[in-house]
Order: sequence, then C-alpha cells, then structure tokens
Amino acid sequence: MRILLDKFSKSFGSTKVIEDMDLEVGSGEMLALLGPSGCGKSTTLFAVCGIHRPTAGRILFGDRDVTNLPSQERNVGVVFQSYALYPHMTVEENIGFPLMVKRVAAADIKKQVADIAALVHIEDLLGRRPAQLSGGQQQRVALARALIRRPDVLLLDEPLANLDAKLRLEMRSEIRRLQKETGITAILVTHDQVEAMSMCDRIAIMKSGEIVQIATPSQMYNDPRTSFVASFLGNPPISLLKGKAEQGAFVLGENGLRLPLAALSGIPDGTALSLGVRPEHFGTAGGVPVEGRVVFAETQGRENLYDVVLPDGSVLRSIQPVRDDVKPGDSVRWNLDSASTFVFAEDGQRL
Amino acid sequence: MIAPAAVMIFLFFLMPVVLTAIFAMTNMSTATGISGGVWQVTQGAVNRLKADMPELASGIAEPRFVIDEEGLAALEALKLKAGFTAELRTSHMGEVFPSRREAERVIKALKDRPSTREVKQISDLFNRSVLNTRFETRDELMASLKRLGFTLTPAEQETVAKATYTGWVWTTENFRIIANSPDMAQIFLNTAFYVSVTLLVFNVSYALFLAITTHYMPASTASIFRAIWLLPRITPVVIYVLMWKWLTWDSGFISMFMGQFGYPPKNYLLDSAYNAWFFVILINGFIGASMGMLVFSSAIKAIPQAHFHASEVDGASRWQQVRHIILPQLRWPILFVTCYQTLSLLASFNEILLSTRGGPGKATEVWSLAAYHTALQNYTGNLEYGLGAAMALVLVVVGIVLSLIYLRIFRYDTLISKPLIED
Repeated sequence: MRILLDKFSKSFGSTKVIEDMDLEVGSGEMLALLGPSGCGKSTTLFAVCGIHRPTAGRILFGDRDVTNLPSQERNVGVVFQSYALYPHMTVEENIGFPLMVKRVAAADIKKQVADIAALVHIEDLLGRRPAQLSGGQQQRVALARALIRRPDVLLLDEPLANLDAKLRLEMRSEIRRLQKETGITAILVTHDQVEAMSMCDRIAIMKSGEIVQIATPSQMYNDPRTSFVASFLGNPPISLLKGKAEQGAFVLGENGLRLPLAALSGIPDGTALSLGVRPEHFGTAGGVPVEGRVVFAETQGRENLYDVVLPDGSVLRSIQPVRDDVKPGDSVRWNLDSASTFVFAEDGQRL
Repeated sequence: MIAPAAVMIFLFFLMPVVLTAIFAMTNMSTATGISGGVWQVTQGAVNRLKADMPELASGIAEPRFVIDEEGLAALEALKLKAGFTAELRTSHMGEVFPSRREAERVIKALKDRPSTREVKQISDLFNRSVLNTRFETRDELMASLKRLGFTLTPAEQETVAKATYTGWVWTTENFRIIANSPDMAQIFLNTAFYVSVTLLVFNVSYALFLAITTHYMPASTASIFRAIWLLPRITPVVIYVLMWKWLTWDSGFISMFMGQFGYPPKNYLLDSAYNAWFFVILINGFIGASMGMLVFSSAIKAIPQAHFHASEVDGASRWQQVRHIILPQLRWPILFVTCYQTLSLLASFNEILLSTRGGPGKATEVWSLAAYHTALQNYTGNLEYGLGAAMALVLVVVGIVLSLIYLRIFRYDTLISKPLIED
C-alpha cells in the first residue's frame, strides 16, 4: 500500500522538528529514512504509525486519509528499537497480542502465530519469555508481532541497533527477505548508511527535519546532491578537500593540486569550493598524479586503507587491494580519478 | 561493620517484640503493679478460695479472736485491773473464738467485771483476723493462719498463697482469655472487616485507579491531582481528623446541609455503627490511597514508553492496555502496597482513636485500639498490661503470617529472579 506524506509538519511545543515534508513510498517498496540522530526520522515514523499526530499536513495510506486516526485503527506493524516485547508474556502471547486484543478466537491465534513463527524461524521458542531470548531472537519475535496482523505498512525503528555485528548482517538480509516475501510496504529508520543501502529500494536522507535527497542507493552514492549526502554515504567516508575555483579548475592551496573539471565552467575565479574524493577513486588507477605522505595505514583483510596528507595539510583517503610496500611515513605519488570526483559549493550544493 | 546495625536492630526492632512477649506471659496490671507484691486476704482472695477450700474461706473471712501471750502483754500494758490478765491466762489461754460476740461473752464473765468500754478495749487486743491484713512474706501469712487454728498441708498452703498474692505472676491465662472471650471475637471480626475493606477498596483499588487515570493525563494536570490526594497524608493527623469531625458533628456541615431539607441535626460520625464504619474507612482510606497512588504511579512510569506505543499500534484499547500491559507489570508494587498497608492498618489506630474512640459502644473497636485500651487507657482505670501485651503479640503473629501468605500468593520468588529484559 502506498504511503503519502503531504506537507507533513510536526512540532513539539515551540520546537519545530519537521516542516512541510513531502514523501511518497510506493506500494511494496522498502524505503530508508536515513540521517543523523535528531534529524526527525523517528518523529516521521511515529507520525506514520499514529503515536504522534501531525501538527499540519496529511498522511495517506493508499487513498485513505489516516491523519487523525489513532494508531489502533491504522493497521501498521512496528518494530521498535528496543523491540518493546512485553516481559510478562511468553513469545507466543507476545506475537498473538495484536490478534488477542482484536478478540480473534484462541485457536485461530494459535494457528496464525505458528505460521508467522515458522516464517521468522522461531517455532521452537514459543514457550519462552523475552528475558530468555538472545537479541536476535527477540528481534525475530518483534518482527513476527509486527507482521501477524498482516499490516498495510511495516515500520522499523532502528531495528538492528541493539544487535552485534554478525547478527546485524544476518538480520539485515532476513528482514529484507520477509519484506519481499510478504510484499509489504516498509519504512526503515536508521542512522547506519550500510543498513539503508543494503536493505532498501530507495533512501530518503534527512537533515534537520528535511529530506535532502531521495533516490536509489546507487544513484545516491554516485550522484549525491549535497556534500552532506556524499559524506553520509560510503564507508570509509569520502574525503573533502577545501579549495578555490580558478579558470574552470579546482585549485588546492598555493601552487598545490590543480584539477580542471567540467562542472566548474562559468564559476567565477576565487569561489570557495570543496572537492569530494571517494577512497576508491584515489590510488593506482586514475589520471591526475597527486603527491603526499602516508600518515595512517590500516589493513582490512581484503583491502588496505591509507590516509595521505597533501603538502597543504589536507587529507585524502585511499582504499586499495592489499599491498605491503607502503608504510606510514612513506611519500607516495598516487593517481586521482578526476572524473569521479564531486565539487560542492560552500553551502554544500553539488555543482 | 555488621555490629552497629545488629545492635540497632536488636534494640529497636527485636527488643520491643521480646518485651511484649515477656509481658504477655504475665498478669501484670495496675492492681498487681510491675514490681513484687504482698500477701493479703482480700474479699477477692476469699472468693477465689471458696471453691477449693470452703471451710478455710469462710473461716478467714470472719473475724477471729485468740487468747495469746501477745494479747496478754498488750493488756498488761493498758494497766487495767491486773485480775483480767491473770484470769485470762489461767483459764482461757489458747482459746479461739470464731466471732467477737463469743470472745466478749468470755471477757464479760471475768470475775473483775470489766465495764462495757473495757470489754471492747480488751477484745480488740485479741482480734487476730487476717481479712484485709497485709503480710510482707508468705511465711508471716502462714504463721498467722496457724495461730488462728488452721492447719494446712503444703499443697493447701500453696493454694492460699496463690489466692492471696497481690503481685504479678507468670501465666498463660491471657491467651486463654483472648481465645475464649466473645468480646475478643467481635474485635477480631471488626479488625478483619476494617483492614480488608480499607485495603481492597482504597489502599489498592482506589490507588490503582488514581495512578492509572493520572498516568493518562497531561503531566501538569496529573501532578495537581496527585498533590490533592497527598493532602490527607501530609496534614497532621489530629487536624485531619478534626476536619472530619467538623464535617460530621451535630453542628457540622452535614447536619447544616441536611437541615435545609428538614432533617434534625445529629452526630453523623457516632450516630450508628454503620455510619461510624463508613467514616472510619473513609478517613483511613483517603490517607492510605495516596501511598499506593505514588508507588503505582512511579511503577507505571518505569514501564518503558515503547510498551505503550507498541500496544497502541498492536491495536490495544486503553482498557486492554491497562489490563494486559500495566497491571501485569505492577505485580510487585501491588504486593508491596498490600503487604505494607495490611501491616500498617493492623497496627495503627490513631485515626480511629481520634475520631470514634472505637464507638459507638465498641462498634469500631479494632484489635490494636483494644490492646491500647486494655493496656494503657481505659475507663475503669485497671490497666491490664499483660493482657494488652498478649493482644499486641497476637497482632505481631498475625502480621507475620499474613506477610508470608502474600509472598506466597504473589509468587515472590519469581519477582526477584533475573531482570526482565536484556539489552
């Protein structure tokens, strides 16, 4: 089911969190709301599920206006960051709770709980209490509880934040699998770009209550609209160099690096700019030689990560296949792929 | 550093119980005093002896006159006619007369013819009655009985000593009184009624109602409500009860209000047992509700906000939220409040003392108040410390037994197990 936020605003007292936000999530789509903490992504999610009422604007599920409906009547499933499992109920009672409050017959509940438990692979845990489950198991229970009502919308509030690294990987694909199998429209709130990129069809990246860009993960990675988006996506993160425009080229410091870029035609000389270089675009391939000194080297198994200080003091990150001929302190002359760089104006807008 | 705590616990918690238990095993009262006693043949003692030794009882109840050396010496000292002494010694020495009349007949018949005044004087000297005489030791009592012509076996002596002793003795009689007296049974029923109704209606149910309703209010409104309900608790109890009395006196608010409709003024507090209970329970309930309200409110606050959000999106109505989310997670606070308030209701009687004094009649007399009345303040003035202490001891035992039952009912062991959520 399609979700539409139309000029949605939310303020708490005099604090405006979100103003005039428009967002559409297509039917069966999984969308990530990505942003740093305090950007309003959870507020948006809580407004969609009805815990918060919008200060202004409309929320539509399909063509139904749910703006003023209480959450009980919205038919949404939510997985909370803390899972919010009821500690005094068994797993079976937890999963069956949404049906129990609808006064579904006990036998029906039992059957549906068994079905959904099989879907999330927790059939043998039904008799336990939340305290007797591991983090990943609790997560699955929370998912099952959110899905059992066959909700129109599945909302996930930082669902992986409390899991360890290995479980996080496992649950990432598990959640995606469930979302695809059930064909449910889903919104994932997260501050982790890897989660957002790996799990979702589209990402809406948010900053201080506004959606900065909304696009598929690869579009967003390859074509960021602002320096904020560019620096938020990618691990290790993009390097930003501060420089100036000079005759259609990006110039770094006095007599430093000079990079002619097509995007800079028509930009007056002396305009302050920043140049974004992803670590994979600085290394052995590429056309523009850059000299610097390695100050930091880290091996990640398959790849090595280097920090290179340029003569003017700015730092470029480089990620390369494992090699052991470069150590911190060495001077290197590596190549920069100028076609893959992004230039941003001083206010962060991409040029 | 366990020693200071142990000393404190011993002095202030164990000692009172131990002393209560000790007093409970005695028959101390105003009449016996709390130090030793004397042996005195009172009318009461005679009554006590009547069943076992009727002869002796009637004997010592009457005056007795014995012609003995002691009396003769006193007679000589009076310097009446010398013939009186001589004749009494030679012809009547050792005679015992069961009444003054018989003794005086003999004195009157003396050859020297004493005057009526002298007869009286002389007979007084030989009066050896033990009725209302105090003996500092048991032996003195026995010696004097012997002189009167009562020869007692050691067993009989024991019975007499017991009956005439005025000090306190060790006894389990108090518990027999408590177990058998219909008054005590009535007081016990009063207490059970008072504690259970106040506890269930106000201290738990009403407190839960207040806590849950204020939970769903905006924070500022909720704190106003809670503050209002705290007033009975923080008002000094004398003033608080006095306000209730103003309300219920025959010149008070209720009477004035009902007067508008033509009802004659009356004291609504003490007018009937039904009304007295009604107000006693209100007075205590309004105080008790505030504590439960505070405990439950903070316990509800401690439930993670996400549980409320989750149950809302799961479709639970307010009532289902209360029933399935809040109440199950309040098991421990409910146990605590029930347990604590039971003990506090059992032990406290100040509100009842200040309002009805257990009246009308003994309608609102509860166990602790009855113990207080028995041991420390009553109309007759004979304060029965021993019986009162025994009643207090019964209260201690009942409190402990009830606490154990509560722990069992609320499955305390499951409450103190592991934390409920790991994260």
